[in-house]
Amino acid sequence: MKTLIYSSAFSLLFLAACSNGSDKTQTTAMPDSTTTKAVVTEPAEKGTSTAALLSSYIKLKNALTADNDKDAAAAGNEMVAGFASFDKKSLTPEQDKAYTDIYDDGKEHAEHIGANVGNIAHQREHFDILSKDMYDLIKLLGANQTLYVDHCPMYNKNKGAIWLSEVKDIKNPYLGKAMPTCGTVQEELK
Amino acid sequence: MKGIKKILLGLLVILVIIQFVQPARNKSGQAMPNDISKMVNMPDDVQGILKKACYDCHSNNTQYPWYANVQPLNWFLDNHVQSGKAELNFNEFGAYTPRRQQSKLRAIENSLKDDTMPLSSYTLIHRNAILSDAEKMQIISWVQISKDSLNNRNL
Repeated sequence: MKTLIYSSAFSLLFLAACSNGSDKTQTTAMPDSTTTKAVVTEPAEKGTSTAALLSSYIKLKNALTADNDKDAAAAGNEMVAGFASFDKKSLTPEQDKAYTDIYDDGKEHAEHIGANVGNIAHQREHFDILSKDMYDLIKLLGANQTLYVDHCPMYNKNKGAIWLSEVKDIKNPYLGKAMPTCGTVQEELK
Repeated sequence: MKGIKKILLGLLVILVIIQFVQPARNKSGQAMPNDISKMVNMPDDVQGILKKACYDCHSNNTQYPWYANVQPLNWFLDNHVQSGKAELNFNEFGAYTPRRQQSKLRAIENSLKDDTMPLSSYTLIHRNAILSDAEKMQIISWVQISKDSLNNRNL
Protein backbone atom coordinates (compact mmCIF):
# COMPACT_ATOMS: atom_id res chain seq x y z
CA MET A 1 0.00 0.00 0.00
CA LYS A 2 2.80 2.32 0.97
CA THR A 3 4.68 1.63 -2.24
CA LEU A 4 1.51 2.30 -4.25
CA ILE A 5 1.09 5.71 -2.59
CA TYR A 6 4.73 6.50 -3.06
CA SER A 7 4.78 5.46 -6.69
CA SER A 8 1.59 7.35 -7.51
CA ALA A 9 2.94 10.40 -5.71
CA PHE A 10 6.17 10.15 -7.67
CA SER A 11 4.44 9.72 -10.95
CA LEU A 12 2.21 12.68 -10.15
CA LEU A 13 5.26 14.73 -9.34
CA PHE A 14 6.92 13.51 -12.46
CA LEU A 15 3.93 14.37 -14.61
CA ALA A 16 3.68 17.76 -13.01
CA ALA A 17 7.33 18.36 -13.64
CA CYS A 18 6.92 17.22 -17.19
CA SER A 19 3.98 19.42 -17.96
CA ASN A 20 5.63 22.26 -16.11
CA GLY A 21 8.76 21.75 -18.15
CA SER A 22 6.94 21.65 -21.41
CA ASP A 23 4.96 24.70 -20.38
CA LYS A 24 8.15 26.54 -19.69
CA THR A 25 9.73 25.57 -22.93
CA GLN A 26 6.59 26.59 -24.73
CA THR A 27 6.44 30.02 -23.16
CA THR A 28 10.11 30.66 -23.71
CA ALA A 29 9.93 29.18 -27.16
CA MET A 30 7.24 31.62 -28.20
CA PRO A 31 9.28 34.83 -28.36
CA ASP A 32 12.31 32.81 -29.43
CA SER A 33 10.62 31.48 -32.50
CA THR A 34 9.44 34.92 -33.53
CA THR A 35 12.91 36.41 -33.21
CA THR A 36 14.54 33.60 -35.14
CA LYS A 37 11.86 34.00 -37.75
CA ALA A 38 12.69 37.68 -38.06
CA VAL A 39 16.36 36.90 -38.39
CA VAL A 40 15.66 34.31 -41.04
CA THR A 41 13.38 36.50 -43.15
CA GLU A 42 15.60 39.58 -43.00
CA PRO A 43 18.48 38.36 -45.16
CA ALA A 44 16.01 36.69 -47.46
CA GLU A 45 14.30 40.03 -48.18
CA LYS A 46 17.61 41.79 -48.62
CA GLY A 47 18.95 38.88 -50.59
CA THR A 48 16.50 39.80 -53.31
CA SER A 49 17.95 43.31 -53.59
CA THR A 50 21.45 41.91 -53.88
CA ALA A 51 20.20 39.33 -56.39
CA ALA A 52 20.28 41.68 -59.39
CA LEU A 53 23.78 42.86 -58.56
CA LEU A 54 24.94 39.32 -57.97
CA SER A 55 23.58 38.01 -61.25
CA SER A 56 25.37 40.80 -63.16
CA TYR A 57 28.53 40.05 -61.22
CA ILE A 58 28.32 36.37 -62.18
CA LYS A 59 27.86 37.39 -65.82
CA LEU A 60 30.95 39.56 -65.53
CA LYS A 61 32.93 36.76 -63.94
CA ASN A 62 31.93 34.32 -66.68
CA ALA A 63 32.82 36.84 -69.41
CA LEU A 64 36.30 37.27 -67.92
CA THR A 65 36.67 33.50 -67.67
CA ALA A 66 36.02 33.35 -71.41
CA ASP A 67 38.45 36.26 -72.07
CA ASN A 68 35.52 38.26 -73.47
CA ASP A 69 36.11 41.96 -72.82
CA LYS A 70 32.91 43.12 -74.57
CA ASP A 71 30.59 40.93 -72.50
CA ALA A 72 32.56 41.91 -69.41
CA ALA A 73 31.99 45.59 -70.18
CA ALA A 74 28.26 44.99 -70.75
CA ALA A 75 28.00 43.17 -67.42
CA GLY A 76 29.98 45.95 -65.76
CA ASN A 77 27.48 48.50 -67.01
CA GLU A 78 24.69 46.26 -65.77
CA MET A 79 26.25 46.37 -62.34
CA VAL A 80 26.40 50.16 -62.44
CA ALA A 81 22.65 50.13 -63.06
CA GLY A 82 22.23 47.55 -60.31
CA PHE A 83 24.02 49.75 -57.81
CA ALA A 84 21.96 52.76 -58.90
CA SER A 85 18.63 50.98 -58.45
CA PHE A 86 19.59 49.22 -55.23
CA ASP A 87 16.84 49.62 -52.61
CA LYS A 88 18.39 50.84 -49.36
CA LYS A 89 15.08 51.30 -47.52
CA SER A 90 15.18 47.97 -45.72
CA LEU A 91 18.70 48.54 -44.36
CA THR A 92 19.43 49.34 -40.73
CA PRO A 93 21.55 52.49 -40.16
CA GLU A 94 24.68 50.37 -39.60
CA GLN A 95 24.02 48.33 -42.70
CA ASP A 96 23.38 51.53 -44.62
CA LYS A 97 26.77 52.91 -43.63
CA ALA A 98 28.56 49.71 -44.58
CA TYR A 99 26.59 49.50 -47.82
CA THR A 100 27.40 53.10 -48.76
CA ASP A 101 31.08 52.37 -48.31
CA ILE A 102 30.82 49.34 -50.59
CA TYR A 103 28.60 51.15 -53.09
CA ASP A 104 30.86 54.19 -53.39
CA ASP A 105 33.79 51.98 -54.29
CA GLY A 106 32.10 49.14 -56.16
CA LYS A 107 30.12 51.38 -58.49
CA GLU A 108 33.33 53.00 -59.69
CA HIS A 109 35.03 49.67 -60.39
CA ALA A 110 31.97 48.56 -62.35
CA GLU A 111 32.06 51.81 -64.35
CA HIS A 112 35.69 51.29 -65.25
CA ILE A 113 35.07 47.71 -66.32
CA GLY A 114 32.24 49.02 -68.50
CA ALA A 115 34.47 51.69 -70.05
CA ASN A 116 37.45 49.45 -70.83
CA VAL A 117 36.52 47.34 -73.83
CA GLY A 118 39.78 46.21 -75.40
CA ASN A 119 41.74 46.31 -72.14
CA ILE A 120 40.84 43.11 -70.34
CA ALA A 121 43.93 43.34 -68.11
CA HIS A 122 42.60 46.60 -66.71
CA GLN A 123 39.10 45.15 -66.39
CA ARG A 124 40.59 42.36 -64.28
CA GLU A 125 42.41 44.84 -62.05
CA HIS A 126 39.07 46.38 -61.19
CA PHE A 127 37.40 43.00 -60.96
CA ASP A 128 39.88 42.08 -58.23
CA ILE A 129 38.67 44.85 -55.90
CA LEU A 130 35.08 44.60 -57.05
CA SER A 131 35.12 40.94 -55.98
CA LYS A 132 36.18 41.96 -52.48
CA ASP A 133 33.39 44.53 -52.43
CA MET A 134 30.86 41.92 -53.52
CA TYR A 135 32.14 39.45 -50.93
CA ASP A 136 31.61 42.03 -48.18
CA LEU A 137 28.20 42.92 -49.61
CA ILE A 138 27.03 39.30 -49.53
CA LYS A 139 28.48 38.91 -46.03
CA LEU A 140 26.54 42.00 -45.01
CA LEU A 141 23.19 41.32 -46.65
CA GLY A 142 23.21 37.70 -47.70
CA ALA A 143 22.38 36.06 -51.00
CA ASN A 144 19.58 33.68 -51.81
CA GLN A 145 21.92 31.09 -53.22
CA THR A 146 25.03 29.14 -52.38
CA LEU A 147 28.22 30.88 -53.46
CA TYR A 148 31.80 29.72 -53.52
CA VAL A 149 34.64 32.05 -52.61
CA ASP A 150 37.50 30.99 -54.84
CA HIS A 151 41.10 32.04 -54.54
CA CYS A 152 43.64 32.45 -57.31
CA PRO A 153 47.14 32.45 -55.81
CA MET A 154 48.96 33.60 -58.95
CA TYR A 155 47.15 36.76 -59.98
CA ASN A 156 48.77 40.19 -59.48
CA LYS A 157 52.34 38.91 -59.28
CA ASN A 158 51.45 36.16 -56.82
CA LYS A 159 49.63 38.53 -54.47
CA GLY A 160 46.53 36.50 -55.20
CA ALA A 161 42.89 37.48 -55.56
CA ILE A 162 39.45 36.11 -54.78
CA TRP A 163 36.28 35.82 -56.80
CA LEU A 164 32.75 34.62 -56.14
CA SER A 165 31.33 31.75 -58.12
CA GLU A 166 27.93 30.10 -58.43
CA VAL A 167 29.52 26.74 -59.25
CA LYS A 168 31.89 24.60 -57.25
CA ASP A 169 34.22 23.88 -60.15
CA ILE A 170 37.11 26.30 -60.52
CA LYS A 171 36.81 28.57 -63.55
CA ASN A 172 39.42 31.24 -63.17
CA PRO A 173 38.38 34.74 -64.35
CA TYR A 174 41.81 36.29 -63.74
CA LEU A 175 43.88 34.02 -65.94
CA GLY A 176 41.04 33.10 -68.31
CA LYS A 177 41.66 30.48 -70.96
CA ALA A 178 45.40 30.44 -70.22
CA MET A 179 44.90 28.72 -66.86
CA PRO A 180 41.19 28.04 -66.43
CA THR A 181 41.39 25.64 -63.49
CA CYS A 182 43.95 27.45 -61.35
CA GLY A 183 42.69 28.17 -57.87
CA THR A 184 40.93 26.66 -54.87
CA VAL A 185 37.62 27.01 -53.08
CA GLN A 186 38.31 29.00 -49.95
CA GLU A 187 34.89 29.36 -48.41
CA GLU A 188 31.30 28.48 -49.04
CA LEU A 189 28.63 31.15 -48.51
CA LYS A 190 25.07 29.99 -48.02
CA MET B 1 36.59 81.98 -105.00
CA LYS B 2 34.04 84.31 -103.47
CA GLY B 3 32.38 81.33 -101.82
CA ILE B 4 35.57 80.19 -100.14
CA LYS B 5 36.25 83.72 -98.89
CA LYS B 6 32.80 83.85 -97.37
CA ILE B 7 33.29 80.54 -95.63
CA LEU B 8 36.69 81.58 -94.25
CA LEU B 9 35.26 84.87 -93.06
CA GLY B 10 32.41 83.00 -91.41
CA LEU B 11 34.86 80.70 -89.60
CA LEU B 12 36.89 83.68 -88.45
CA VAL B 13 33.78 85.33 -87.04
CA ILE B 14 32.87 82.12 -85.19
CA LEU B 15 36.43 81.84 -83.85
CA VAL B 16 36.27 85.39 -82.55
CA ILE B 17 32.84 84.86 -81.00
CA ILE B 18 33.82 81.67 -79.14
CA GLN B 19 36.71 83.54 -77.50
CA PHE B 20 34.05 85.20 -75.38
CA VAL B 21 32.60 81.87 -74.26
CA GLN B 22 35.06 80.79 -71.59
CA PRO B 23 34.23 78.02 -69.14
CA ALA B 24 34.69 78.83 -65.46
CA ARG B 25 38.28 78.38 -64.29
CA ASN B 26 39.21 75.57 -61.95
CA LYS B 27 40.46 77.85 -59.22
CA SER B 28 39.53 77.81 -55.59
CA GLY B 29 40.92 79.98 -52.82
CA GLN B 30 38.78 78.27 -50.22
CA ALA B 31 40.00 76.24 -47.29
CA MET B 32 40.06 72.52 -48.05
CA PRO B 33 38.94 70.52 -45.02
CA ASN B 34 38.83 67.29 -47.05
CA ASP B 35 42.33 67.64 -48.46
CA ILE B 36 44.40 64.46 -48.51
CA SER B 37 47.07 66.12 -46.33
CA LYS B 38 44.48 66.19 -43.53
CA MET B 39 44.06 62.43 -43.81
CA VAL B 40 47.61 61.14 -44.21
CA ASN B 41 51.11 62.41 -43.61
CA MET B 42 52.27 64.40 -46.64
CA PRO B 43 56.02 65.05 -46.89
CA ASP B 44 57.01 68.20 -48.80
CA ASP B 45 58.79 66.36 -51.60
CA VAL B 46 55.74 64.16 -52.22
CA GLN B 47 53.52 67.23 -52.20
CA GLY B 48 55.88 68.85 -54.71
CA ILE B 49 55.70 65.92 -57.13
CA LEU B 50 51.93 65.70 -56.87
CA LYS B 51 51.63 69.45 -57.47
CA LYS B 52 53.74 69.53 -60.58
CA ALA B 53 52.49 66.30 -62.15
CA CYS B 54 48.95 65.66 -60.88
CA TYR B 55 47.21 68.68 -59.41
CA ASP B 56 46.40 70.39 -62.71
CA CYS B 57 43.66 67.83 -63.27
CA HIS B 58 43.22 66.20 -59.86
CA SER B 59 42.71 69.17 -57.56
CA ASN B 60 40.59 72.27 -57.19
CA ASN B 61 43.38 74.46 -58.55
CA THR B 62 44.75 74.27 -62.06
CA GLN B 63 47.89 76.12 -63.17
CA TYR B 64 46.66 77.27 -66.56
CA PRO B 65 49.07 77.55 -69.50
CA TRP B 66 48.90 80.61 -71.78
CA TYR B 67 46.93 78.79 -74.49
CA ALA B 68 44.14 78.18 -72.02
CA ASN B 69 42.98 81.65 -73.05
CA VAL B 70 42.43 80.50 -76.60
CA GLN B 71 39.26 78.77 -77.61
CA PRO B 72 38.50 75.99 -78.50
CA LEU B 73 41.61 74.76 -76.64
CA ASN B 74 40.12 75.83 -73.35
CA TRP B 75 37.12 73.55 -73.85
CA PHE B 76 39.43 70.65 -74.45
CA LEU B 77 41.38 71.50 -71.28
CA ASP B 78 38.27 72.05 -69.23
CA ASN B 79 36.93 68.68 -70.31
CA HIS B 80 40.13 66.99 -69.14
CA VAL B 81 40.15 68.81 -65.82
CA GLN B 82 36.53 67.94 -65.11
CA SER B 83 36.92 64.23 -65.86
CA GLY B 84 40.22 64.14 -63.95
CA LYS B 85 38.61 65.67 -60.90
CA ALA B 86 35.66 63.30 -61.08
CA GLU B 87 38.06 60.38 -61.07
CA LEU B 88 40.28 61.60 -58.25
CA ASN B 89 40.44 64.93 -56.46
CA PHE B 90 43.23 65.19 -53.91
CA ASN B 91 41.50 68.17 -52.33
CA GLU B 92 38.32 66.13 -51.73
CA PHE B 93 39.99 62.88 -50.76
CA GLY B 94 38.69 63.01 -47.18
CA ALA B 95 35.10 62.99 -48.42
CA TYR B 96 35.53 59.56 -50.02
CA THR B 97 34.44 56.49 -48.09
CA PRO B 98 37.32 54.50 -46.49
CA ARG B 99 37.03 51.75 -49.06
CA ARG B 100 37.20 54.18 -51.96
CA GLN B 101 40.22 55.92 -50.43
CA GLN B 102 42.03 52.59 -50.46
CA SER B 103 41.03 52.00 -54.07
CA LYS B 104 42.25 55.45 -55.08
CA LEU B 105 45.64 54.98 -53.46
CA ARG B 106 45.97 51.63 -55.14
CA ALA B 107 44.98 53.18 -58.48
CA ILE B 108 47.68 55.86 -58.06
CA GLU B 109 50.25 53.14 -57.59
CA ASN B 110 48.98 51.10 -60.54
CA SER B 111 48.80 54.03 -62.93
CA LEU B 112 52.39 54.99 -62.12
CA LYS B 113 53.58 51.43 -62.56
CA ASP B 114 51.66 51.04 -65.82
CA ASP B 115 52.71 54.51 -67.04
CA THR B 116 49.12 55.48 -67.76
CA MET B 117 49.51 58.61 -65.64
CA PRO B 118 50.39 61.44 -66.08
CA LEU B 119 48.71 61.33 -69.50
CA SER B 120 51.11 61.48 -72.44
CA SER B 121 49.03 64.30 -73.97
CA TYR B 122 49.73 66.26 -70.79
CA THR B 123 53.45 65.54 -70.51
CA LEU B 124 53.83 66.47 -74.18
CA ILE B 125 53.62 70.10 -73.10
CA HIS B 126 54.30 69.84 -69.36
CA ARG B 127 57.76 68.34 -69.66
CA ASN B 128 58.44 68.69 -65.93
CA ALA B 129 55.51 66.38 -65.21
CA ILE B 130 57.45 63.47 -66.64
CA LEU B 131 58.41 61.59 -63.49
CA SER B 132 61.78 59.96 -62.99
CA ASP B 133 61.92 56.43 -61.63
CA ALA B 134 63.10 57.82 -58.30
CA GLU B 135 60.10 60.16 -58.13
CA LYS B 136 57.76 57.33 -58.99
CA MET B 137 59.25 55.18 -56.25
CA GLN B 138 58.84 58.05 -53.82
CA ILE B 139 55.11 58.32 -54.61
CA ILE B 140 54.61 54.55 -54.54
CA SER B 141 56.20 54.16 -51.12
CA TRP B 142 54.19 57.13 -49.84
CA VAL B 143 51.04 55.44 -51.19
CA GLN B 144 51.87 52.24 -49.33
CA ILE B 145 52.49 54.04 -46.05
CA SER B 146 49.26 56.00 -46.50
CA LYS B 147 47.24 52.86 -47.22
CA ASP B 148 48.45 51.29 -44.00
CA SER B 149 47.88 54.38 -41.89
CA LEU B 150 44.33 54.79 -43.24
CA ASN B 151 43.68 51.11 -42.61
CA ASN B 152 44.80 51.41 -39.00
CA ARG B 153 42.68 54.49 -38.55
CA ASN B 154 39.58 52.64 -39.72
CA LEU B 155 40.07 49.57 -37.59
